[in-house]
Amino acid sequence: MPQEFAQGRARGEQRADDSQQPLERAQAETQTDALDQVLDDIASTLETNAQDYVNSFVQQGGQ
Amino acid sequence: MPQLRDSGTHALTGSDGVDAPRSPQYGTGERIFGIETEYGVSMTGGERRIDARQVAATMFLPVVAQARSTNTYLRNGARLYLDVGSHPEYATAETRDPLDALEQDLAGESVIRKLALQAQERIRAKVGEHAMVHVFKNNVDSAGHAFGCHENYLVRRYVPLPVIERELLPFLITRQLFSGAGRVTDHGFELSQRADYLDEAVSSATTRARPMVNTRDEPHADPDQFRRLHVIIGDSNRSQFVTFMKLATTHLVLGVIESSVRAGRASGFQACTLADPNLANRAISRDITGRTAVRLAVDRGDGNAAWHPEGSASALEIQQYYLDIVRKAVTADPDSVSGTLPRTDVSRVLDDWQELLDLIAANDVAALADRLDWAAKYRLLSALGGHGRRIDPWRAQQLDMDYHDIVNGSVYPALVRRGMMRVLVSEQDVGRAVDRPPADTRAAMRGQFVREAMWRGARYSCDWTRLTLSEPVHGEVVMLDPFDAGPSPAFDEVLARLEKSASQA
Repeated sequence: MPQEFAQGRARGEQRADDSQQPLERAQAETQTDALDQVLDDIASTLETNAQDYVNSFVQQGGQ
Repeated sequence: MPQLRDSGTHALTGSDGVDAPRSPQYGTGERIFGIETEYGVSMTGGERRIDARQVAATMFLPVVAQARSTNTYLRNGARLYLDVGSHPEYATAETRDPLDALEQDLAGESVIRKLALQAQERIRAKVGEHAMVHVFKNNVDSAGHAFGCHENYLVRRYVPLPVIERELLPFLITRQLFSGAGRVTDHGFELSQRADYLDEAVSSATTRARPMVNTRDEPHADPDQFRRLHVIIGDSNRSQFVTFMKLATTHLVLGVIESSVRAGRASGFQACTLADPNLANRAISRDITGRTAVRLAVDRGDGNAAWHPEGSASALEIQQYYLDIVRKAVTADPDSVSGTLPRTDVSRVLDDWQELLDLIAANDVAALADRLDWAAKYRLLSALGGHGRRIDPWRAQQLDMDYHDIVNGSVYPALVRRGMMRVLVSEQDVGRAVDRPPADTRAAMRGQFVREAMWRGARYSCDWTRLTLSEPVHGEVVMLDPFDAGPSPAFDEVLARLEKSASQA
């Protein structure tokens, strides 16, 4: 079942829009840009076989 | 229900009515901190599969070559060993301050990472150059096996076990609002990695049941004065801010508990006693807003029935209640409390704690994402899965795990590189912590002993309270007081003996 992550109406997550003050808009833009850069950085991870990766990790329990 | 094996609470004065000689720190609020982390391992990308047991064994080949054992102590005073179930485990040296503990914990990551990269080279020679070793600083594997990050706090012996259960547990359970590492599950995003995998609340039993908190009868200190509080409920954190705050806030709460017992009055924390700690823990883990109400115990002592008389409160309210009491105590006696931590500014900790609670109350995940592991993950997953796109559940789980991979993980280093994650400790300071023990605890002696013994090719062994030299000469040093950095006369003598025998070789 697909995961859905609700996008809260929090300050930083809003796409910059005209109703925000200039500073807030700039901050929101910066955060969105930085997040996009992170997504670029992890691009090769996003191309690997996720199920294989997950299922490779099997231990016994610890103490 | 496990038997509570506890050798009893030792009263403030000796049994003959005379005060026994006390450690200098017995009367202060100073603390000894330690963090033990069990790591998970895996391998991907090879021409054939290699299981966790083999990966871990390969990682420990250099350890066995040097120490003739998978259990060894290091020149920074830490313990490194291969656990049951093939978990590399690193237990930091004793520290007096949460910042020192953080540095030592990061040193542990560095040591483990280096072993993993060496193992990766060996493994690539066997199964191809695309093989990757992963070492997860997390708490659950893909099959539901759970393992831990445990905190150790030295607590004064006169605090009875039931008091710890009543008064500390609600704090530890609600602490996950900021200390939870977050977990992608098939029933939604949870705050805590461990909430679904804990059994009893408090126990003196060890391996079978998985309690949230444990007190050990081997306090690794004078058992008349101290007891070792072993907190099992915490998640493994990558966030340096969280590791620091986890320890700092717990220390402050313990301080209020201790000073209240000493003064013979109620701390006020008993108002938060939970009716069902395990149920509360799971319910809180499923709600990132912190608003789910949990049931409080019916009998919560005098004078606090006024707080939520209807008998339930949210995690946010409980955390705020703890913060308010701690702040009052600090305000009443600021010098005394600030004197308990050599490097940490207590008022700053309180302000940061308050800010976290305010941001959680506002559900401002974006603002929290540079400090809290769960928020960083949540925000990344939202960015991937938003705008009407839904994220593939395997991908979500992969990113959850990748976040904790200290060797080949891509997510956390990207967040740090892009300035999106707070970093408290420089690479240089981590390097120093790999090399040197804390200077203000008995780890200083242990570290120096190991350094000297290794350098001279001597045979030695340690445990937390003892240093033992076996070749080329015999010697033993007992270090009962974790606060005492020495060097003791016995220590000087053993080192002198070692040096002398080496120069005669």
